[in-house]
This record gives sequence, structure tokens and C-alpha cells, in this order.
Amino acid sequence: MSAATAPRPAVRLRRELRAWRTWPSRVLGSWQRSLRFRTLVLTIALSTLAILVACVWMALAIQNDLFQSRRDQVLGDARRATTAAQATLDSALQGDSAQVRNVVDSVMASLGRQSDSDLVAMFRVDQTPSATAPQDFVLGGGNWDGQITDALRDKVRSDADVQWWQSIALTDASGRVVPGIAVGQQLNVAGVGAYELYIAYDLAAADQTLGFVQGTLWVVGLALIAIIAGISWFVLRSVTVPIGEAAHTSAELAAGRLDVRLDVHGEDEIATLGRSFNAMADSIQAQIKELAELSLVQQRFVSDVSHELRTPLTTIRLAADVLNDHREAFDPVSTRAAELLHAQVQRFETLLTDLLEISRYDAGSVQLELEPTSLAHLAEDVVAQMHQLAEQHGSDVRLVAPGGYSPVEMDPRRVRRIVRNLLGNAIEHGEGRPIVVTVDSDQDAVAVGVRDYGMGMRPEDQERVFDRFWRADPSRKRTIGGTGLGLAIALGDTRLHGGTLGVWSSLGLGTNFVLTLPRRAGAEPASSPLSLAPEGDGLDDLGLTQPIDVDSALRGKEST
Amino acid sequence: MTSRILVVDDDTALAEMIGIVLDTEGFETVFCADGAQAVDAFRAERPDLVLLDLMLPGMDGIEICTRLRAESGVPIIMLTARTDTADVVAGLESGADDYIVKPFNPKELVARIRTRLRPAATDAGESLRIGDLTVDVAAHEVRRGSTPIPLTPLEFELLVALASKPQQVFSREMLLEQVWGYHYKADTRLVNVHVQRLRAKVELDPDNPKIVTTVRGVGYRAGAAS
Repeated sequence: MSAATAPRPAVRLRRELRAWRTWPSRVLGSWQRSLRFRTLVLTIALSTLAILVACVWMALAIQNDLFQSRRDQVLGDARRATTAAQATLDSALQGDSAQVRNVVDSVMASLGRQSDSDLVAMFRVDQTPSATAPQDFVLGGGNWDGQITDALRDKVRSDADVQWWQSIALTDASGRVVPGIAVGQQLNVAGVGAYELYIAYDLAAADQTLGFVQGTLWVVGLALIAIIAGISWFVLRSVTVPIGEAAHTSAELAAGRLDVRLDVHGEDEIATLGRSFNAMADSIQAQIKELAELSLVQQRFVSDVSHELRTPLTTIRLAADVLNDHREAFDPVSTRAAELLHAQVQRFETLLTDLLEISRYDAGSVQLELEPTSLAHLAEDVVAQMHQLAEQHGSDVRLVAPGGYSPVEMDPRRVRRIVRNLLGNAIEHGEGRPIVVTVDSDQDAVAVGVRDYGMGMRPEDQERVFDRFWRADPSRKRTIGGTGLGLAIALGDTRLHGGTLGVWSSLGLGTNFVLTLPRRAGAEPASSPLSLAPEGDGLDDLGLTQPIDVDSALRGKEST
Repeated sequence: MTSRILVVDDDTALAEMIGIVLDTEGFETVFCADGAQAVDAFRAERPDLVLLDLMLPGMDGIEICTRLRAESGVPIIMLTARTDTADVVAGLESGADDYIVKPFNPKELVARIRTRLRPAATDAGESLRIGDLTVDVAAHEVRRGSTPIPLTPLEFELLVALASKPQQVFSREMLLEQVWGYHYKADTRLVNVHVQRLRAKVELDPDNPKIVTTVRGVGYRAGAAS
């Protein structure tokens, strides 16, 4: 069980991987096919770029502004604290080192109180050791004083009255690194000398604000992109959906559904398109209907004429038969006349029957009466039926049936008529040479081929061979009473079966007709079990099927 | 005794020509060119067979056929120019025994007529049982119990053909040959329609036939005698 199910996830994964691999081509396909997809992608890409630029610019401006205002505040604060500390120092009594230290300590403490910051450091400018002057003081934890650059210290040392500042990194109570500012200025301790005073301020609050603002900007930016995408999707939909509908409806109209129309709302360009389309469809439908009616009238006329002709033809037929039966009693001229009348009435009748059959195809009123039939046996019957006629023409008809015995649904009356017609043509045009009837089948189709080794046809004649009333050679003497409709009817019958009727012919080599019928109705055979063009069939060895010398044959005909 | 044939056709030339052909074959012909008078002509002439054109002015052939069938089992052969399914089937369903398609030749016409006029070729005095029916061949009578069932000669012949060989399954082609006299492949609708008409008369429940049963894909056979 597990062995059976185990490959499934792997297969699915592989399939998904394969699906992943097809993604680029699928996206490319959508890009090329879908106007909406392409426009949407472009809109999103461009608006994303615009929003990104705007957000970055705003973030930078806000950051700058926040820093500057905090710095100004810090500088002001530091100045006040320093001024207060200087005043304290100035008013303090001069004394020994311990006293100075006490004073400085208290000043440092008050600095810490007066400023917002508790990070204060003092470094003596004159680095030479002095008995009375304490060296350095650092208030507040961390090693922030180590970050004060020499450049800043040089500046502070060089000018006694000016405030200097630099950015530093501070570590807050929770160990987080936050940005800060160190402000430096000289402080003069009476009797001891100048000190550098540095006060560090952290910018955590400003940083937090900045973080919040930037976060908001990102959220707003993304939201904007999403909103723009949504809006473009809806807007595009309102344009592309009608276009898609119009395309779909056009396709349906082209496929022959003439009654399809577009829904038209409003007065905009889309509505105009819809109205124009509907007007076009109306016009096409009207014209096609008119043509169809004309065609129907014509077909009905042909059918009616054929039927109307039948009653007088019956009378003529009966009369001709009666005359023919009594022809011995007539003088020779009348006898011959009666015979001719009899024969031609029969020909006329065949023609009328064929014409009626054709008019049925045109009217689409033919229905097949299907029954399981063995094509090989059917061909055998036809060959047997026409054996005598073939003998009269000196042709030997051979039946080669390697397959096609199993019954296939077909209308045997019509198929028999097709085969009879093909064989009749082969006998008539076969020049007394052998005729080969082949029956074979494959999985999808059964086929019967009728090959003669007569004169064959020119390529331009082959194209017309199924045309109504077309004859291969008008000057040729016809020996079998054909109506000129036989192959047209054969083709009509073949099409009703969903089959194909192919012709191959070559001057001097003869002609091959192949009728292919599908095993299952409706499934048009893609290929035939029999090939149309001849392969070596061994008959050439008999010496009976050597190619006819067409030129000399034609010359011979012309000279007679 | 010559058989009298009523030709109902509005085309007088064809009717006359048919008359000539039938006269030479020894039949006696009477004519009626108007559909509306066909039934009256039938009553006046009492013909042995009716040749009926399907397309007639006044009253169409199918209507005439129905009316004639209502009062007589006389053999009716239709003349039709159309072989389209609907026309032929409608004619057969209205009671015509056979049909012949224009244009036809004289031999065909005479052969059709002779088949319909021939006397039933069964031994006199024979009595057959089929289902709960008794078929008295000599008296040309079918009875259920003591109630006679009126059948046309064709329907009677069809029933006798089936009843005389109760073990045999008859294909449609066999029945066409035996009852209609066709020696070549003919229209099997003739059999289908007439079996339906026969069942409508002899079966107690035509939807569930016991007298003439269908053998699917083969044909028909007589129901077991009871």
C-alpha cells in the first residue's frame, strides 16, 4: 500500500517543479496575450517606482528635520548648562586641589541635573600634570567619551567660546545602541585653567519617531500600490471585459452562430463598438438568410421538378415497354425506334434518379440507414455482380482483401453504390487491363481501393473528377450508361459516412480511387489503411500493367 | 374470372397507360380521376384491388386509403413519386398493402398486382393455433374464442405465414419474399408497419405482444399456442 502511495508526493513535487519551470513562459504568454495583464503589470511597476521615490525622499526629509530640531534643542540645552556651570565656577573660591575637585564635582553634578543628559565629561586642556588641577572627570556609564574624535577636541581646544558637536553611538540601559550627539565647549576653572566639557545626548526618542514615521511610510506606500493595482484592475476590467466579449462573440459569429449579439449599454466608445458589431452581424445574418432561402428555393425546385417529371416519365416508360414488347410486329425502322425509345427512357430515368439524389444532398435531407456490414464481403458481392460487364470489356477484376471482414456500421446500399460506381468507372476506363479491388482495415477505418491500369488522367482532370456532369474525355465513346453524376453521388455518400474518397491518377499508369470509412461514425479517419499512390503490387510482373505509351496512344487516336 | 382493378389517378394519361398494360395482362380496369369520388367509385365497382396515387386533387391518397380500409380489406397498392420516409410510412400506416415507386415498368406493376391477388396457397381445411387465436385457413377467418377478428387478406397471410411454422423465426426479408413476393432486397418498413397493424388487431395488449413476438436483431415469430 505504502509502496503504491510513496511515489505520489515525489511525482507531485516533480510536477510542481516542472510547473515552476514553465512559469516564465506562462508569464510571457500572458504578457503577449492579455492586454489587461500587460497594462496591470506596467501600471504597478511604474506606480511602485513613483511611490518608492516619494517615500524615500519623504523619509530622508523627515529624518533630516528631526535631527536638526533635536540638535538645535541639544545645543541650546548644552549652552545653558555650560553657562550655568561657568558662573558657578567663576563664583567659587580659589583653593587647593581638593577644593577645586569638590567644586568641579558639584559643577559636574549640577550639569547633569541642568542638562537633559547625565553623560558629562571634562578633560583638562593643558595635559601637563598640576598639583592643584584635577585631570579628567567622566560622568555616566559606558565608554561614550572614547568616541569623541580628536578633530572635535582640537576644535574645542582651539576656540574658547564656540560650541562644537559630533554624532556618536550610545548604548542605552537595555544594551541597545542608539544614536547620540556629543556637544563640546571650553569651561574655565579659575586658577586651574581651561577644561573641555562634553555633554552627550541620546537621540533615542527622535530615532523612535523616525522609525515610526518610516514604518508608516512603507505601510502607506504598499497600501497605495495595492490600491492603485486594485483600481487599475477594475478600470481595465471595465474596458477589457467588453473587448473580450466582443472578441468571443465575433468568434462565435465566425463559427456560424449568426444569432449572437453583444449587450450594449450607454453611449461610450465600447457601446459604439457593440452597436456597430451588432449592425454588422444583422447585415451578415440577413444576407446569409437570403442566400440560404434562395438556395432552398432552388433545391426545392429541383426536387419538385424531379418528382413532377416522374408521372409523365412513368407513362412514357410503360408505353415504351409495351412498344418494345411488340417490336417484332413492326417494320424494321419502327422496331429500331422502339428499341431506342426503350433504352433512352431507361437512361433518362437513371438520370432523373441521380438528379433527385443530388438534390437530396443539397437539401441535406439524406439519412443513412446504418447496419453492421463487412466491407470485404460487400466488395466481393459487387465484384461478382459486375463480373460479366468486366468480361465484356476484357478486364480481369481481382479482389485482394487482407482485412475489412469484421462488420462496420455503414449504409450498405450507399456503400455498394459507391463501390459499384468506382468499379464501373474502372471497367470503362481500364482499357481491358486488369483491375484490382483492395479491401483493408486498421484500428480506425476500413477502406476499399479500386485500381485500374488504363490511360489515367491529367492532374487538372483529377481535380474535376467529382464535379457534376464532368466527363474525363468528352470525345470518348461511352459504353456504360453513366449519367455524369456517379462520382458526385459517391462523394456525397462518402461524406455522409464521415469518410474520405481520394483519387490518384497518372497518365499511362491508370487511376486509383480509395474509399475510407471510419469504424465509428463521426470519427473522421486521419489516414487510410490503403495508400492512394501505388506501391509495388507485383502485378507489373504479369506484363499486363506496363505503362501505356500515352503519346503514341494519343497519336494513334488522332490519326484515326 | 378476371380481376377488376380500380385505378385512382388524376393523371389520365398514366391511368390510361396503366389500363392498356393491365388489359393486355387480362385484367379489367376501372378508373377514377378525382380523389373525392374514389370511395364512391369503390362502392359502385367493388374492385378486387385498388391502385392508388398518393398525390390526388380533392382528397389525398392517404385519406382515401384510410376510408377504404374502414370498410374493406381490399388490397391497396400505392403509387408514389416520393420515396421519402414520411410519405411511404404514412401510406402504409393508413392501410396500403404495398407501394410502387414511379417510374415503374409494366412487369413490376403486374408482378405486384398478381402477388396481391393470388389465392392463399394453403391446404384447405387446415386450422392453426397461434397464441389464444384459432386461424381457420379455409374459411379465411381468425377467432379469439368465438369472436371473429376481421383481418385484411395481407394481414391474414402474414399471420398464417407465422402460424404455419411456429418454431421458425422469420426475418423481415423472408416475410417480404413469402407474403409480398419480393425476391430481391426490398423495403423492410413494409414488414414493420404491417406487423404493427396486425398486432393492433390481434393482440390483447399491442405494447406487450404475445401473438407476434419480436426476436431482437432477427425478425418475428409466432407466439406459443395456448
